[in-house]
This record gives sequence, C-alpha cells and structure tokens, in this order.
Amino acid sequence: MSTTTNTPASPGSVAASATFRTFAVVLAIATPVIYTICEMRNWPLFTYHPGINRVDFGWAAAVRDQGPAMYWYGWIANTLIGSAVLGFIATMLPENATRRIPLSLVWILPIVMIPILVYALRFFWRW
Amino acid sequence: MGLVPDFLLDYITVNTYWTILFTVHALLAVALLGALTHQAMSVLAPVRQVADAGPGGFVTRFRAVQGAGYATAVCVLWIVTFIFGAWIYTKYRMYVRIPIEQQGYWKTQGFFEMKEHLASIGLGLLPIYWYFWKNARNQEYDSPRKCLTVLLAAMCWFIFLTGHIVNNVRGFGS
Repeated sequence: MSTTTNTPASPGSVAASATFRTFAVVLAIATPVIYTICEMRNWPLFTYHPGINRVDFGWAAAVRDQGPAMYWYGWIANTLIGSAVLGFIATMLPENATRRIPLSLVWILPIVMIPILVYALRFFWRW
Repeated sequence: MGLVPDFLLDYITVNTYWTILFTVHALLAVALLGALTHQAMSVLAPVRQVADAGPGGFVTRFRAVQGAGYATAVCVLWIVTFIFGAWIYTKYRMYVRIPIEQQGYWKTQGFFEMKEHLASIGLGLLPIYWYFWKNARNQEYDSPRKCLTVLLAAMCWFIFLTGHIVNNVRGFGS
C-alpha cells in the first residue's frame, strides 16, 4: 500500500528509539487527561492579563477595570510540563513494562475527553 | 491591544500587523488541513498499487499520497499554526470575545473554547503520531497510526471550521 511506503527509521535515530517511543506514548496519554483536569479545576501555571500585559504565577483574578484574565496559556504550560515529566519517568521503567501500555490509548483517551470538555463548557450551551 | 512588538509599529499600523498575523495563521491552517486530509484519506481508503494501478480519477489520486511523507510537515504546521493562534488569542480575548459575549453568541464562544481545547490536546499527540509514521512498516503501529491520523484530521477540520465561523461572526471589518 502506498500509505506505508517510506524509508524505514534508521538505527540510532530518534524514530527508531524505544526510549522516545515510551516518552511519546505516555505524553500522548497524559496530555488529554491533564489538560482536562487543569481546565475543569482551573489550574493554570500562570495567568496572563492582556489588557495590562502582566503575568501572575498560578491563578489570579482579573484586575478590576483592566480587562480579562487568560488562563489557557497556563493550562497548556501545566499540561505540557506534567505530561513531559510523566513521559521522562516512564522512560526509566523497564522496556518490558512500558511495552504493555496499550497503544490504542493514544487515540481513545482524547476521544473520551471530548464529551467531558463539552460538559465543562456547559455555561456556553444556552440560548 | 494584545501582544505587538513595539519596533514593528514604526513600519506598519496595528491593524496591518494583526491582519498579517491572522492571514498567515489562516494560510498555515489551510496547509495543515490539506496535508492531514490527504493523509487521513490515504489510511482510510488506501490505493492498492497493483489493483488500482492506472490513471485513476481525482479521488483516487487524492488518496494515493505517500502518507509518511506528510508526518513531519504536519507536526511543524500544527505547532507553528498553534503559536500564531496563541499569539492572536491575546487580541481575540480583548476585542472579539467580549463583543461576542455582549451580543449573546454563547454557543459561538463555546465552540471557540472547544477549538482551543482540541488544538492544545493535539500538541501532545504529535510526537507519537510522528513516531508511528516514521515506523510505518511496523505492522504493530498500523491500527493506532490510522486511528490517530483520522482523529487529528477530524480535530483539524473542527478547529478550522470553528475559526472560520468565529471570523464570520466578528472578524475582519467588524
């Protein structure tokens, strides 16, 4: 099939690395879960105030008469750092353990998180 | 007014700056959407080289791409498009979202929130997506590669169309 016709990953490259595979699998599994938790619990690493171009560590309320506060950047930062840390920890585990992680989770978990995130946005689903 | 490097304002107006940024974001999104759609079609309806050899029609040629060749480009495009979107978001939050809420377009804003959620989750999926495609001859990865590619393509379509609709609600010229 034409879809799989490519040059095989060369030995020693990142694409052939079992360590990278473990890191990437755990990152993909952890990202949707951590992001959803950060969104639902409103746990940003930092808060950005675009009106006054200010950054506060952690969650901070909008400054009165100075525009809104943005938490999305802080959720992403928490998500990527948390997922990357879990990924690195997983690379220290024996390969026979990490090989048991079902690969299907990398696409099933994001799909599972979608209705949860839709529910988390219930404030907006009104007439 | 959002994040605008001061030195640029010596050469262009604020409106020109955001227009350029938004246009580049949109063009990158089109390229990403095209690449992912080609790739998703190539895994959903692969062209069998022997049976389907021949000139073929538009659909056959559309799905006959070398999917693996798109993987790195898709990752780069997703990340760069994301960065541009995140940059524009500072402007959006101040000058687009507030009027949208004042006019009561709640569902439009809800869809935009969902768009940013999916774009963020997609970031974390890119390394394993890239790995699966770089090891496309490993049959162990056939099924997750196919599902992940189709999922990313579906996410990209949702993100793209939502961005387009939000722009129609309050974009250029509003």
